[in-house]
Amino acid sequence: MRIVILGPSVYSETACAAAMRLADMGYAPAGALLLSTFNRETLLRKLGQWGANGVAGYVRTKIFSNSRSNLFRIQNEYLRPWLDRGDRIFRNLKQVANAYRFPVAITRDQNSPRAIASLKAWAPDLIVFTGGNILRKEVLAIPRLGVLNIHLGWLPQIRGMSSPEWSLLSSAPVGVTIHFMDSGIDTGAILQQYEYSRLADCKSLADLRQRLIAFGLDKLGDVVAALDRGTMVSTPQRNQNAEGSGDNQYFVMHQWLQERAAAMLARRIAPVSETVHG
Amino acid sequence: MQFRGGGYSMRGKRDKARPAAKESAGPMRAPQRALWLARKLASDAISRSFAQRHLYSHTRTKHSTEATVDALLRWILSAQREDGGIAAHYSLLSGYSSSYPEVTGYLIPTLYDYAQQCSDHALSRKAISAAERATDWLLTLQTPDGAFNAGLHPGPSHPSVFNTGQILQGLIRAHSERNDSEIYFAAMRAGDWLIETQQPDGSWSGTSAYQGSAHAYYSMVAWPLALLSRETGNSSYRHAAEKNLDWVLSCFQQNGWISGINLRGHPDYLHFIAYALQGALECAALCQRNGAIDLVAKSAWVLLRQFETKKFLCGAYDGDFRNGRRFACLTGNAQMSCVWLRLFELTSDLRYFNAALKMNEMLKSRIVMQGRREIAGGVSGSYPIWGRYQPLRYISWGAKFAADALLLEQRIKRSFNLPAEEALECAS
Repeated sequence: MRIVILGPSVYSETACAAAMRLADMGYAPAGALLLSTFNRETLLRKLGQWGANGVAGYVRTKIFSNSRSNLFRIQNEYLRPWLDRGDRIFRNLKQVANAYRFPVAITRDQNSPRAIASLKAWAPDLIVFTGGNILRKEVLAIPRLGVLNIHLGWLPQIRGMSSPEWSLLSSAPVGVTIHFMDSGIDTGAILQQYEYSRLADCKSLADLRQRLIAFGLDKLGDVVAALDRGTMVSTPQRNQNAEGSGDNQYFVMHQWLQERAAAMLARRIAPVSETVHG
Repeated sequence: MQFRGGGYSMRGKRDKARPAAKESAGPMRAPQRALWLARKLASDAISRSFAQRHLYSHTRTKHSTEATVDALLRWILSAQREDGGIAAHYSLLSGYSSSYPEVTGYLIPTLYDYAQQCSDHALSRKAISAAERATDWLLTLQTPDGAFNAGLHPGPSHPSVFNTGQILQGLIRAHSERNDSEIYFAAMRAGDWLIETQQPDGSWSGTSAYQGSAHAYYSMVAWPLALLSRETGNSSYRHAAEKNLDWVLSCFQQNGWISGINLRGHPDYLHFIAYALQGALECAALCQRNGAIDLVAKSAWVLLRQFETKKFLCGAYDGDFRNGRRFACLTGNAQMSCVWLRLFELTSDLRYFNAALKMNEMLKSRIVMQGRREIAGGVSGSYPIWGRYQPLRYISWGAKFAADALLLEQRIKRSFNLPAEEALECAS
């Protein structure tokens, strides 16, 4: 099966780990299409939204607050099994591409004609999305099977942003949903859902997020293998056009509510057995 | 607040031009204001260039909610005139306006709410005293038929449905706090006059309505009528309130837009859209009309989605939320926060609370906490201050709704902790 990775940056650990996970299973990617790390459009958009102070603050926290040792550390330790190969640590997708001999294309916009041309040239059966632009229909239509996304929430109840936090506050199952993408936000057909059972081990919301990313990548392998065998079918989501409170889209959670979610997590000591919902 | 371009009531073109010219000439009478004006213009220009371009929904501020509410209240207290009424605005050109009965009326509940929640006893006593002075002043303004006039006081005017409704809200609250029969009967007379002037379809139009036509935002009149019914036990007030609510709900479109704002010659400012939502929501809650609450929630959700996805709310729209103007109507933002907070209380949907918390954070970031008493704690009509809604002014109804939103946030936060803690105790 020909698989292409879409990622937010060549330095994305999630994209690297996804590529490694698939390569380990014998599905070395046919290509990777990544957003350029620094580009003028993104910078201008962020300047417009955040202002110069906001952008400077972001850069400060993301880059300069990291000590030299931190810059070379794996940020998400739960991805180490895929990124750390003993003799070397894969820090960016170009290194993975060199090891597994697949092409990498860098673009400012994953919906651009050039990006679409690259994707078509790779003739993917499946695209695995690990971050980037909101994809237009032209891109979504390229792969034979579809574009896969790992959503860190339980669909269709919780779609959108801050999903693990909203799951905690609204007593929805905490876990991941692997689904095909469509033109909506997390509205595509569901392939498989996995509830996360080790909430009691989580030290913080950030820790939970990192664990869920690794958990989702682990399960991604199972889903890809099942798709390759033709033994997995997707289920369309209901309730996609609901309005008002019936709309299941969630948005970035305010700090005050995040603190409540963190408190809920800290006290959540009753373990839930891991369950699979397909 | 009913006003257009500097005037506060229906007047002829010549009459409208006079206050605007008088306001523009303000700095000649008090040159020091030119300096404050220049400083504010420069500060907003810099803030727009180097900080948030718009009122961004991820704004953070170090101002605590408590300190900001205190600052807002101090601004309101300093805007109270000698007669007991509260000025409509502080203009950076011409200073304080004279007292404005309508806003004085609906500031009374805010003052009492503040007094109940505030930990500073001295400030709390001042708030109660201000509410009592405001009430006593308003009682002197009621016409023999029970109405209250439009516009600033003193000034030539005529009875106004909207102003009577907003003052009624203050009278009802004042009565429940003071248990004074004079206030009680004044409120009843105002309610009776509103019933008399109501049209058979439930709307208010004609000479006592702004621009002579019916408006969906007069749901803000239905709300105090429903309150009056609860206070007096007289069902005729509730009947009138529900009749208006039904008319207002008929203006709600499938896409969430409210078609009956009806302000000729102006876009629909967020302030008026939020009025329509807030009045309809509170009236529906009092009358236990769940279907009406759902309709309001649908419209409020459209604005919530816009706020969350575009990161700000436009200051004004044309029909169907088209052609949003790129300035912030701070009062409308504060009102939407109140609507979302109340919807959270009514529906338990945390997303309303989440949006309101972000909105309040933005509001706090736009309130100057220190400096001259005319400016510190004031809420400007627009951000930036030269925006189309009440340019170059700090407006008293902006301070009112911002204080309401922050007080409501505090109240919900206090009650939010208890059930969550209990639930967690049970779970463990």
